[in-house]
Parts: sequence; C-alpha cells; structure tokens
Amino acid sequence: MIRLTNNTKILTQEFEYFAPKTLAGALDLLYRYQDKNTRILAGGTDLLVKMKTIGLDADYLISIKEIPELKFIDTDAGLRIGAAVPLSHIEKIEKVREKYPALYESIKSMAAIAIRNMATMPGNICNASPAGDTIPPLIAYEAKLKLVSKRGERTVLVEDFITGVGKTIIKRDELLTQVIIPEISKNSGGAFLKKGRVKADIAKINLAVCLKREGEICKDCRIVLGSVFIKAVRAKKAEELLRGQVINNDLIIKTAKKASEVIKPIDDIRSTAEYRTELARVMTEDALKLAWGRAGGEL
Amino acid sequence: MSEFKIVGKPIPRDDAWAKVTGELKYADDFSLPGMLYAKVLRSKYPAAKIISINTAKAEKLNGVRAVLTAKDVPHNETVTRFGQSSEVGKGFEGLYRVLADKKVRFMGEAVALVAADTEEIAEKALDLIEVNYETLPGVFDPVEAMKPGAYLVGENNSNIIGQFGCSQGDIIKGFAEADIIIEDTYKVPFVDHAYLETEGGIAWIDDYGVINIRVGSQVIEHFRDVADVLGLSHNKVRYIGTMMGGGFGGKEDITVEAYLALLTWKTKKPVRLFYTREESILCHSKRHPFVMKYKVGAKKDGKLVALNAELISDAGAYPYLSPWVNLYATVNAAGPYCIPNVKVRTYCVLTNNTFTSANRGFGAPQPNVVYESLMDELAHKLNISPLEIRRRNCLTTGKSLSTTGQVFKTYVALPEVAEKAWEALGELAKCEDKNRKVGRGLAIGLMSYGRMTFLHDSSRCYVRLESDGSVLIRSGIPDLGGGQVSLLCQIVAEELGIPMSKIKIYYSDTALTPLAGTTTATRQTYMSGNATLKAARKIRKRIISKAAELLNVNPDKLDIIEEKVIVKYNQSQYLPLVEVIKACNTAGIELFCEVQFNAPFTIVPDLSNIRGMTFPDFTFGAQAVEVAVDTETGQVEILKLITCYDVGKAINPLSVEGQMEGGSIYGMGYALMEEVIIEKGITMTPSFSEYIIPTAADVPDVKAILVESGGGLGPYGAKGIGEPACSIIAPAILNAIYDAIGVRIKNLPATPEKIIRALKKEYFEK
Ligand SMILES: Cc1cc2nc3c(=O)[nH]c(=O)nc-3n(C[C@H](O)[C@H](O)[C@H](O)COP(=O)(O)OP(=O)(O)OC[C@H]3O[C@@H](n4cnc5c(N)ncnc54)[C@H](O)[C@@H]3O)c2cc1C
Repeated sequence: MIRLTNNTKILTQEFEYFAPKTLAGALDLLYRYQDKNTRILAGGTDLLVKMKTIGLDADYLISIKEIPELKFIDTDAGLRIGAAVPLSHIEKIEKVREKYPALYESIKSMAAIAIRNMATMPGNICNASPAGDTIPPLIAYEAKLKLVSKRGERTVLVEDFITGVGKTIIKRDELLTQVIIPEISKNSGGAFLKKGRVKADIAKINLAVCLKREGEICKDCRIVLGSVFIKAVRAKKAEELLRGQVINNDLIIKTAKKASEVIKPIDDIRSTAEYRTELARVMTEDALKLAWGRAGGEL
Repeated sequence: MSEFKIVGKPIPRDDAWAKVTGELKYADDFSLPGMLYAKVLRSKYPAAKIISINTAKAEKLNGVRAVLTAKDVPHNETVTRFGQSSEVGKGFEGLYRVLADKKVRFMGEAVALVAADTEEIAEKALDLIEVNYETLPGVFDPVEAMKPGAYLVGENNSNIIGQFGCSQGDIIKGFAEADIIIEDTYKVPFVDHAYLETEGGIAWIDDYGVINIRVGSQVIEHFRDVADVLGLSHNKVRYIGTMMGGGFGGKEDITVEAYLALLTWKTKKPVRLFYTREESILCHSKRHPFVMKYKVGAKKDGKLVALNAELISDAGAYPYLSPWVNLYATVNAAGPYCIPNVKVRTYCVLTNNTFTSANRGFGAPQPNVVYESLMDELAHKLNISPLEIRRRNCLTTGKSLSTTGQVFKTYVALPEVAEKAWEALGELAKCEDKNRKVGRGLAIGLMSYGRMTFLHDSSRCYVRLESDGSVLIRSGIPDLGGGQVSLLCQIVAEELGIPMSKIKIYYSDTALTPLAGTTTATRQTYMSGNATLKAARKIRKRIISKAAELLNVNPDKLDIIEEKVIVKYNQSQYLPLVEVIKACNTAGIELFCEVQFNAPFTIVPDLSNIRGMTFPDFTFGAQAVEVAVDTETGQVEILKLITCYDVGKAINPLSVEGQMEGGSIYGMGYALMEEVIIEKGITMTPSFSEYIIPTAADVPDVKAILVESGGGLGPYGAKGIGEPACSIIAPAILNAIYDAIGVRIKNLPATPEKIIRALKKEYFEK
C-alpha cells in the first residue's frame, strides 16, 4: 500500500473527538453515531497508523482510555481484563506470567515498551490482523469477549469473533469491554513462539499451544497458528492426533508435520509461503515440547 | 610534541552534552515567524510522459502561496557536482534536473512544489494539481537496459552513463597458468541510508537579499549549484549547515535545498520542507545494486594468478554520483591482493528505478562481498585456512594495487589486521542443539580515505587565540554525527595547550566559515584535521617564539601545557599563556590565521584504463565473525563480531570505536536483512515496517581492535575510518554462514528464507 502523499508526522484529517468518562457515556455515543463513520480509539497504535498511512478516515473518534470501569484487572477466577488496560500492565500481572505463559510471551514479543504502554488487548483483537500476537494464545486458552451495547450484552469466543483480515462480528454500536480467560486447570501447559525479521517485529508466523495432561496422556490440546491464513487458525487435524494419546517425541513430530499441512500461508513482504510452512512445522514441534514440559509431562 | 594531552584520549565530544540534553537544534528544531510549509508533488509512475500539468485549482486554494513546476525554474537543468571546484570533464557530470519536465523517469520524481500557510493546506494543494500522464514501458533491470533497443530512460541514445576499466598483465595467460578457477555471479540490492533524521531544512531571504538555507547537508558547497539553478551569483546563496542526525552519503547530493530556495525566492517568505520517512525511502538516493560477474584463478598453493570482473550497476533514473561510485568500485574490484593479471570492466546504467548515489562505502562494499566470498571458496577448495590464503596473497608495504598499480608507500597493515581479528575470536563456541551450527568467517578489505586526487581537494580552517586564552575556530566542516567538529577542537586544544572547554567552534556556514570541503569520502579527519593542525601550529609557533624571547630560552625547549608556556627541562619555569598573548598583542603579532591544506593533485585518468594514483591513501581492515545458524529456521545469530582496522592514530578513540561499531552494524544489516525492494519501479518497502534494519536487541557486542601504525596522511598519522568501517563485514558473515552449514549465499541479503531454500536445494542435490 503506497501513497506518495503519506504523512506520518501529522494527522491531516478532521474529526470530532470524544473522551467519555463513563461506560454508559461511551455506549450512548456509539449508539448515537452508529450510522456515522465512528471509530473506537483505545491505544491508537493500529488506528492512528492506519489513519496516517492508508487513508482510513473517521468523522468521530471515541476514546475509551478515560473510562475507569474499563481499567480493572480481576484475577479471582481465571482472568478478566478491562478494555482500557494497556499491555504493559497485563505483562506485569503475576498470574499471567505463571499460569498463562503463552499470553505473557506473546505480549512480551510485541513491539517496544512505548507501544505496549499504549496498546490494548481488545485493540489487537478488533484490529484482526492475521499476525496479531495475542490472538493465538487467547484462542488456545479459550478466551471470551464481552460485547456491550445500549441494547444489551453478549459473550463470544475469540475464536468465533474474528472472521477475516480486519473483520469481526462486532456491531457498530457495540463495545468490547473485557477479555475473559477461563481458569486454567492443574497439569496444563502453554507456550507461544514467534518469528519476526528482527526482535520486536510483526510476526512472519506466530503460534500458541495449550495442553492438558493426565499422566502420560494428553487429555486436550489446542494448537493455534497466526500469520498463515486470513486469520489465526486452529490446526484441528493436528490437535486430533494428540488428543487422548500417550505423548512421545515421534507423535509430536507427526503432529507438527500435520499442523504445517493444514495452513494456507502466502508470500508477502515479510516472508514466503514456502518458509512459513517450514517454520510452522519446526515451531509447532518446539512449542508442543515446551508446553508438555510446562504441564509437567516428560518425553 | 613529546606526549599527547588531549589527542588520543577517550574524551567526551564537544557536542555530546547538547545532544544528550536535547539542547542541540537540529534542522527540524527551528522555525521563523510567517514561515510557509512546502510539499513536493511526486510522480505516480516510474516512466511516463507528462502531457499536461494544471495548477490552477491548487493556486486558488486559500492559504496557498506558490505552486511551481519545471517552467518556473530559471535553470531547471544543470549538472551534478559534489562540491568539487576543479574541472573533471564529461565522464562524470550528468544531468541534474530540479523538477520533472515532459517525462518522468522514476516513481516519486518531483513534479511540482507547493508552499502554503500550513502543512495541511500544502497537502491539500497537492491533491488539486492535475497531472496528465501517458505511461511508458520503462526499464527496470540494468542488464536489460544495457541491451541495444532497450527503452531509453533519458534523452541520450544509450542507458549506459559510465564505463570504467583497468587492467594489468594478461588474463588469458594468467588463467592458463591457474590450477583452479572459480567463476560466479553475485548480486547485491538497493539499500537505504535509514538515518533517524530525514532530509529537510528551512530557507529565508535575509536583509541583504541573500537566500539563507539552514539544512542538514554533508556538502554545503552546493550553495553554488543552488545559485546556478536560480541564476544568481554564488555569493547570493548561503548554506548554514546543522548537526545532522545521520548522513551516510544520503545528504551528499542536493536534497531539499533547491526546492526551498525556489519557493522562498518566489514567495519572499521563510519556507520549510522536511521529507516524511516514506518520501525519504521512495524518492531519495539508494545504494547501488550491482550484478558482479567474477572469475578468479589460483595456483594449488592458493597464490592468485588472475582475476576478471565485470560489474554492472543500477544508477536508477538520474546519474547523480553514479559515475564516481562506479569508479570506486572499479578501483576496489580486485581487493587488497597482489594479482599479476587483472581485468575489470564496470558499467553504470540508467533504469526507471529510484536513483542511486552515495551510500557509506561508495562502491567499495559491493565488490568486497564478491572477492571475499571467492577467497573463502578458494580456501575451502584448496584446504587452506581463511587466514592463510589471505596471508599468501594480500598487499604489503611497497606493493601496488592490482587494479590501478597505485603503489603503497605507507604502512600496509595487512596481514596484521587479519591475524588480530581472526585470533580475537578465541575458542569456538560449543553448541548442544543439533540444529544450531556454529561457523566462522573472515574478510579483509581496503578503502580509500580522501577524495579522488584528480579532484584537487582542499580544506581551509581559521583559528584565533583570544586575549583571555580562549580560542575561536571557524571551519566549514559539516558534522553528520561522527564527531567531525569535536575532532578539530581536540587538535587545537592539544596544540595550544588549552582545555576543550575554552574552545568555541563555528562550523558549516558558507558565509562565515572557511570552506572545508565535504563531509564525504572519509576525508575530514585527513583534510580538515590537517588544515586545522596547520593553522594551530602557526599560532603555536608565534606564541612559543614570543615566550622564548621573554624567558630567554631556545624555542625548541618550550611546550604549552595546561595554559602555561613551560620550559621542558625545568617545569617550574613558565609563563601563563595569557601573559604571552598579551605580549604578542602589544607587539602586534597576529594570533589568528586562515590556512588551506591541499591533498596531492593528479590529472584526470583515462577512464577506460585507469592507472596510477587515484586516491591519496587507503585504510586497511579485517572483520571476523562467529555465527550460529539454525538449520531448521535459517535464523542467523551473530555470536562474536570483531572489527580490526589500522586507523593510523585514533585522535578520539571513543569516536573511532563508535565508527567501527556502527559500521559493523550498518554492514550487518546489509548482509542479513536490508533491501529496498523495487518491483517494476515501484518501491515495496516504503517505511520502516517493510524496510527492516537491525534493532538494538539484534546487535551483538562488537569488539573493536584499533591498530595505530601512525602511517596515515592525516594529523598525527591518522587515517580515515568512517566508510572503511562498514565495507568488509558482509562477506565475513556470508563466509561464516558457509562455514556453519555449507551453503553460500550469493544474493544479499542472506535472509532465513534464502538460507532454508539453499539448504533444501543442497539436500535434494545430494
Ligand atoms: C511500532 C509498532 C509495533 C507493533 N508491533 C506489534 C506486534 O509485534 N504484534 C502485534 O500483534 N501488533 C503490533 N502492533 C500493532 C498494535 O500495537 C497492536 O495491535 C495493539 O494491540 C493495538 O491496540 P490499540 O489499543 O493500540 O488499538 P487501537 O489502534 O486503538 O485500535 C485498533 C482497532 O480496534 C478497535 N478497538 C479498540 N478497542 C476496542 C474496543 N474496546 N471495542 C471495540 N473496538 C475496539 C479500534 O476501533 C480499531 O479499529 C504494533 C504497532 C506499532 C505501531
């Protein structure tokens, strides 16, 4: 996407800016301007970049960063994180580091600290980039999203929320208010791996796995790959190979190979389809081993 | 002088505090009341006829003060120069066109200029300019562009804008004697300078009707070229150079200055113009891609007998400095080796790609990638160590360059630097992981410092000792962050025995400071260092001789230390410096002077067979690396990185190490990841999310080993280091990759994708 008149220094377009102080206020605005060109602004690290570079425009910007109701972190049962919490706060939560290593590692792999001080998880999810780093771990951990509007609220799985590149099922008057991650059972293990061109880069490929162990058997598992399709995908056929089986090296290698066969990567400026397929296999293997170890399993 | 007090010491630079506290005013940190904002309309196509341009709507927009196209430029077509004042003839001077006229030659070429009250209005005005194009086929590959019948980029009947050659001996005979011959073709890509500070500046007309341009520029001598564009006399344009946030050759050509001058001349108001990052990547110069076909022959013992090289470079759409860069590549093509039979042919070809010009290394890094890869291949094939093969072939003092025959009269630090770099790698890293292979690579090289001798280069400096013992220096030297300005202060402080804090330097101003020449060609330590030394020594001599008279001792018994003129054998006998200054002033002795230092002068060589001296001197260096390559992901991790150069004398070791470290990283990006991808004239990597450079987290510790032979032509025996420092690392990395996994990457950058593909190919072939 090349525009010769790109100006990344200033935002040249005009828009009306709101920074409501309550959730109700935000929902009111969303309801009122739902037929207009209205956009929700969280950290702005995707939105403002797009407004500057690819000419995405907005008539109304609604910032949600000043809404106290969206700034909570609840670690009682599983995890509940409000939509205005920056990534740099999430990575500091002890429970995230200890119980949800795949999420922790994905956030740590993102950008530099200045960006993480601004960026949010709902921003990453709603931006719905195939390379979004928090998406594979959230799917692997079976995370849900709470969508609220003046009309009511609903809860959906992250896995069902994203439908394509930049596409989600959110309605124009809805706000994603919190991310809900279920409690993780004992003997579970997760891992996130990513390859970029340099450290702190958008992924050429990223992936998260989460395994549940019962003795030597893998009771359940999720393998989610990003940047290899129009959205993050579960390698379900690969998961099936592991589920209910005694885990050993050979099986992991077979599973990883399967995972690399079910994806549909493309050539782009960051990498090639050929390379991504190769990496999917190598990284799935590594991630499964890592996660199995974290679940207390042996190989 | 017996012992150095300031020279050779790792002291903080003169500009360091202002930079870390943010006080320093870069080009962008400046504004004037009533200033207008400029924007450039750029061509949408890489090759097209301009049928018509209609600026009427843009001109009517409220707040627009000027819209200019080619017809408004008094002298839209001049010739490219880079600050030289001597005549060098047609072989080097190409067309310099300010705004596109009738035809556009590359995507992003400037078509029109706008100045408006705000940046937003200026941008809107760009959208209102109607340009009617008729697209043309264009040509995008220099090899294609060379062929007869190819699309013609410019107005001439050939796309070839420069041909250079040199030869010695007889290559047919040479290859007949060879026991082993290797032939191969290597390719290197476009790369960007990627400085933090993009191109930009501000211009205004002062009370005397002079156009002042405050700009980040490596070549303030462009004031002449800008004056020529406007048809003004040279003294009606003044450059005020700022400290730069990086130059790397990208601020060697004119960037925004002609546009600024035209707009301020037209509107009579101050005008500012700064490129966005995208503009900088899309529209300003790149490093030349080269296709390099090499053939080398050696005896069984590794002794080189013949080298034949054909180099083809992509000049992009306009010549700029392409001919010069290609001359450098030609001279450097056989590397630092003694080879009896050599033939080199270089072609520099126009295409409809973004234009290429100076980029740190200026034609030296490209051939270095090839000859050092080939030396490594020879070593492996003949079962000789990488160090040994270089020992057997490298230049030594008194030998001559195999391309031009230029004789090295000063110390040639080969193979010393190679040995030191290789040894510094120490023990080979152990690796448990079976998919992680460790390997090592070595590369050596040479690069000139100082400009081509037929340019008759010179530098001037003014030094004045004030009555209170402080010093004022004026030098036209531009500082691109390398410490050029601070270096001059250090020399004066040393010679006049005063602390750095007592020196005030004015720099980079064509009206007020004596012209010191360009900060390019790794020439400032050598040229302006010598000019400053000469000026300081003149004043020192006058002080000492006055003091000798007052103390009644022989002048050669005196030294100036810590603001005292001291009798060397009896340090309690001295005069405070200010006392001597007073005495000089009373006696009417001049404590100021402006001097000029001239490099050696030669005549313009025969470009088809360049022989003899073309450069004053060369810097020699070696780089060694140890890498770990993951055979499953193709990821290359640099474990150890050694850089070793004979710098002659490190006037400020901190600055020298900074250049050697920065140079290594610059070259590491070239080896592993950097590439401006231009497909059919369209840049696919227009920002830093597509154009990737190493981040701090990707960079290994760099170990810099400074050899100080004292054999340089600069002050105190210093040599230049800025460009040599980045010109050798790439093949060292490629050689290490080969050592680790047995595949040789011949097409930069060596991305994980290419490594995996090469490994797979290797696997299937076996
Ligand atoms: C330099 C840089 C590096 C980056 N590196 C990475 C990286 O390594 N990995 C990665 O995945 N991403 C990366 N990003 C992208 C970006 O930072 C992340 O996607 C981030 O999580 C976006 O969050 P945000 O709060 O800034 O979103 P915003 O830009 O504010 O919003 C993004 C989109 O989501 C919508 N939105 C935001 N919040 C809500 C909500 N609560 N309800 C409904 N819609 C909402 C917005 O309307 C917008 O469409 C990088 C960006 C930059 C600038």
